[in-house]
Amino acid sequence: MERRLQQIFFALSFLSLALIVVAAWQANTPSWKTYQHRFYELEAQGEPNAITKAAMLATPPEIHQQMLTGLQRVDRCTTCHLGVEDPTMKDAPEPFRYHAGLGPHVPARFGCTICHGGQGLATDKASAHGSVDFWPNPLLSKEYIRASCGRCHKEGEVPGVPELTEGRHLFETQGCRGCHKLNGVGGSIGPDLTAEGANHRSPDWLERHFLAPNVVSTGSAMPNFHFSKDQARALTYYMLSLTSEDMGSYYSSVRLIPGPEYGRQLFVEKNCITCHNIGGVGAKTGPDLQGITRQHSPEWLDEQLVNPELVYPGSSMPAYDLESNERKALLAFLSSATPSDAEAIVSQRPTKLAPEDIAIEAGKQDFSRFGCVGCHGTELQGGVANPNAQGGEVPSLLHLSDDYTKDEVIAIIQNGRTPPLDNAKGPMPPLYMPAWKKVLSQEDINRVADYLWSKQQKKKEEAW
Amino acid sequence: MNLIREIYQSIVRRDPLSTDKGKSELVFLNVWLHIHPAKVKREHMKFTHTFYLGFITFFLFVILVTTGIALMCYYRPYPPAAYQDMKDLQFVVFMGPFLRAMHRWSAHAMVVCVFLHMCRVFYTGSYKKPRQFNWVVGVVLLLLTLGLSFTGYLLPWDQLAYWAITVGTNIGSYAPLVGGQLRELLLGGHTVGEAALLRFYVLHVAVLPVAVLLLTAVHLWRVRKDGGLSRPLWKLQTVKKEQLVTIGAPQETAPLLVQPAVATKTYGLMEVVTGKPIFETIAPEEEEDAVFSFPYAFVREALALMATVTAIMTISILFHAPLEELANPAKTPNPAKAPWYFLGLQELVSHSALLGGVVAPALMVLALLAIPYIDRNPSRQLTTRKWALGLFTAFVVVNLVLIVVGTFFRGPGWALVPPWVHVVGGAE
Repeated sequence: MERRLQQIFFALSFLSLALIVVAAWQANTPSWKTYQHRFYELEAQGEPNAITKAAMLATPPEIHQQMLTGLQRVDRCTTCHLGVEDPTMKDAPEPFRYHAGLGPHVPARFGCTICHGGQGLATDKASAHGSVDFWPNPLLSKEYIRASCGRCHKEGEVPGVPELTEGRHLFETQGCRGCHKLNGVGGSIGPDLTAEGANHRSPDWLERHFLAPNVVSTGSAMPNFHFSKDQARALTYYMLSLTSEDMGSYYSSVRLIPGPEYGRQLFVEKNCITCHNIGGVGAKTGPDLQGITRQHSPEWLDEQLVNPELVYPGSSMPAYDLESNERKALLAFLSSATPSDAEAIVSQRPTKLAPEDIAIEAGKQDFSRFGCVGCHGTELQGGVANPNAQGGEVPSLLHLSDDYTKDEVIAIIQNGRTPPLDNAKGPMPPLYMPAWKKVLSQEDINRVADYLWSKQQKKKEEAW
Repeated sequence: MNLIREIYQSIVRRDPLSTDKGKSELVFLNVWLHIHPAKVKREHMKFTHTFYLGFITFFLFVILVTTGIALMCYYRPYPPAAYQDMKDLQFVVFMGPFLRAMHRWSAHAMVVCVFLHMCRVFYTGSYKKPRQFNWVVGVVLLLLTLGLSFTGYLLPWDQLAYWAITVGTNIGSYAPLVGGQLRELLLGGHTVGEAALLRFYVLHVAVLPVAVLLLTAVHLWRVRKDGGLSRPLWKLQTVKKEQLVTIGAPQETAPLLVQPAVATKTYGLMEVVTGKPIFETIAPEEEEDAVFSFPYAFVREALALMATVTAIMTISILFHAPLEELANPAKTPNPAKAPWYFLGLQELVSHSALLGGVVAPALMVLALLAIPYIDRNPSRQLTTRKWALGLFTAFVVVNLVLIVVGTFFRGPGWALVPPWVHVVGGAE
């Protein structure tokens, strides 16, 4: 018995020693070492000098990593992808192939995962490519990689990625903000999209969703906008780029010194002149902007552009979703703007506006910018399907004056309402009119009502 | 040569191990070994008496301390660095995954072994007079073990950790009056966050291990001071009344509990001081059935140690420790589950927050602590403890069933879902 116990003890001791050896062997033979060895073999093939060749083959294996503090990540991809920056490797098999067309985006400054996705910290293929459990961000497929450009290039046209420009344009013109918040501005019927890209939905899902929301996401309130395939692709790109990450200042691709030219362009685009004037030229609803940069500090003005209500309680100026450099550009323009600038801007507008037209025009802007057009249509025609609402769709706004007074309409915009039901026992319709009084100022709402009233048509006489 | 001998003798002062005196001195002249008696009874070394569960638990604790200190070298206790350090352990630290797996699986194994150890002690009736207090110390050690495991659970800072701790601490907050404040004290805030991670880290690497170490010392010390290991049940049955000798025992005590002695037995200082030797009944002829701890007990302990280490290493090579996504307070998994040993509680809480989350666990802990004082039946024979055995077995079974149900049968929304049914889209 005692002898036997001692034998078992020694047997177990050897076994545990063996297990340590197994674990150490496992740890010492990771797949990246094999890849590195193969790379050095490949590199040495064309090397005529025997000594250099031997030196190449004897390169000690080591993990290569890019510490990218500005992007809050560490990428170890180049541990295996050793030829990324070596043009002689342009025909080499993966994972050693040269990455053409990187331009200024060198791995040392940008790493890989900021564009490609995947798990930069990992050192084995499956984990690194992110196709493993518990890594929500797998490699983006080739078709969608360019969407990542929008993570840093947040404004203006992105060279080589017309989809992003188109996506942003669609978002602002199709009334998406009526239901979705983006950077704090928008409705709340649909989910907030500020960090939609960080949800890591599959691009394929997003694209099919834009083509037919209800098919992909059962019971979704989102109407079918009948986007074309290209438009769905553009919106998908835009969504993927919205990660709400803080990019280090080195990476935020913006005009480093925002010029007054760009500011002027924005001033025109955002129709500032419909409310403001410069040295008396323009509209009188808002204050004169000439010399405004001398009256207030840059910080005050910047804050004013982000959230006018906060700076100036009761301000009728709406919050515009402007990037920080767009705001800087606007201020740069305003610091040098003269009445003759204003005259030029006013004269370029399609029609000269009478004061009451200015209010209507501002109302139209609001109607579009806050996403009313998403459901009620760019021509107020309505018609978006809304099952079990009266008529089965979102009402047209062209005949409001037949059934409501202006004050009643203003009250509905302020407080919102649930649509009258078609079948009282049926389910609630997915879409409803949100209460806008927290988003829009009273003045904005009045202007929207003015705009609606300017568009009223008499119902055609029923033909009996 | 003389110098070498001098050095050796300055370190090892005992006689050669070939002599009985040497074997005794090996034990009681050594600070680490002197918690053992110099001689042990053969019956105590029998595997089926204790299953060596106490030792195994202690060895697991040693593995945990060793691997834990190694892990501390790679760990920064603040988010999100904590999670990145887990990834580094997984991908770039030499033998990092092995190290982490050993720590993880030993921790789970320790919770299991402490529990099994408690069951063994209960079923052999070893908590009875004079060992009542050591049972209480044991229950506290069980709670400390759970605390260690629970605090360690948060440290990887992944989704699993974050939500298990959120759910676990929420259960605690159901306690009336103080619950919410206790939770806030533990977390350093209203939700699990940076402060909570740091507090859990401090508890995990400093406060709780030191507490366990100190209490373990008390626990082992009391084992000896309370008269060594309890006698195996099969030995109890063979003892005949007329063989017993009684010394210094109160008259009213039942013969089986009586302090034993034989005429030739010599007592140590401990017995002289108290005047009342604390030993269980021993028939005179059995008194000599003892052998020196060296090598008989030591080789068995060493064997248990190596078996534990080998088992944990094998498991750690085969199975990696889990690591989910980075903790995300905005994304609640459905269902969010506490660590498995608290899933019985969570199951109870799902039926009634106050009863299940406060009353039941409080009663359970109090009942466990009070067992040796409630159970006045002095007998250790299985046949005469039907009530005690029945109640305790019910306690064990109910706990196991609740944990199994909570672990395997609860799906999204805490709905009853058998483990073989795959729920689609549970995470959204």
